[in-house]
Amino acid sequence: MTAEDRDREALSALMDGETQELELRRVLDSISSDPSLRDRWRRQQQVRELLQGQRRHLPDVDVSTRVREVLDAKRSVSRNPIWSMAVAASVTLAVVMGGQQLLMPSSGVTPAPVVSELGGAVVPVFGAQPVQASLGAQSLPVSSRQASGAQSAGQSIAAVYERLARDRYHRLNGRHAASAAQSHPAPYISYVRVPELKLEAPDSE
Amino acid sequence: MTASDTDKQLVQRAQRGDLRAFDLLVLKYQGRIAALVSRYVSDPGEAEDVTQEAFIKAFRALEQFRGDSAFYTWLYRIAANAAKNYLVAKGRRPRADATIEDAEGFDDGWLLAESSSPEAVAMGDELAGVVEVALQALPDELRSALTLRELDGLSYDDIADVLECPVGTVRSRIFRAREAIDARVREQMNGESGFR
Repeated sequence: MTAEDRDREALSALMDGETQELELRRVLDSISSDPSLRDRWRRQQQVRELLQGQRRHLPDVDVSTRVREVLDAKRSVSRNPIWSMAVAASVTLAVVMGGQQLLMPSSGVTPAPVVSELGGAVVPVFGAQPVQASLGAQSLPVSSRQASGAQSAGQSIAAVYERLARDRYHRLNGRHAASAAQSHPAPYISYVRVPELKLEAPDSE
Repeated sequence: MTASDTDKQLVQRAQRGDLRAFDLLVLKYQGRIAALVSRYVSDPGEAEDVTQEAFIKAFRALEQFRGDSAFYTWLYRIAANAAKNYLVAKGRRPRADATIEDAEGFDDGWLLAESSSPEAVAMGDELAGVVEVALQALPDELRSALTLRELDGLSYDDIADVLECPVGTVRSRIFRAREAIDARVREQMNGESGFR
């Protein structure tokens, strides 16, 4: 049996839903390179309809070529790199414009950075306003006091970040130690807080 | 497995963007869809355009097809809506109103009798005669296998049980039967310039 015979037999089996996925893929590949297989498929569908008594009065139209051309053309357009770039550029532009709209203050006045009255600064997000959390939560200890200057604000922000990071590290470290002490079969102390360490000379006693 | 398994296989591939698979579905159903559209749109040229549009719409909507109904029933709805919308856009009324029951009862083959031209009917009758002669000329074992498949709708496994032969033999016999009939049909088509 030649490769062409195998393809034609597979096409016949495909008509009956008796092909596996791999064979179907092979048939589709063969149809792409051999138009006579496509004609054979069409004829054999017509023969089936005649055998089953369906076809005798069907109109003899063939829109398949035009349908394929239209779908091919649409796919070519959507796969065109220039088209893809245009779509990507439009999306990017929309995101940037939308983001700017959201950040713009409604009054049109440029707000100054806000700082905490407790000594720490909060991150001066452009256009941000202090908000009251819902369900009875306390508001942030923040006022609209103007920062004295951009430089001092920058330094205090850096200090705040550093302090927050340090606090967070200590908190996590403590939590980890507590958890380890509870779950470990032989309890141990992995974390000791020493308020002050005094070293004395051995000969002082 | 049945012919509807063919549709499932092809639809699944088409849903993944395989135009070749969709092309085979178009080739398979274009006659029936054109018949349906002709019930609404009497002009053959317009009916062909609407048929084409129906398949393009079907491809675009293919992702939404979940397989709850047969592919043909789903396609039938799209084509019927395309034909109705076409007439509304033209400010015309449909000639008839087809229903989904028509789609399911289409196998009776009566739908298009009213919209086919006398030439098409004559050619259809002639081709049907050629197929019948070719079928009767087949060796018994090939004719039995093809008849059990096409007329009784049996799967290859069931045919193998009936004919007491391996499934591979059934597959081969049905293939050879179709090849023999196709050879006669091609002769007929080459002689008839008007028949595609």
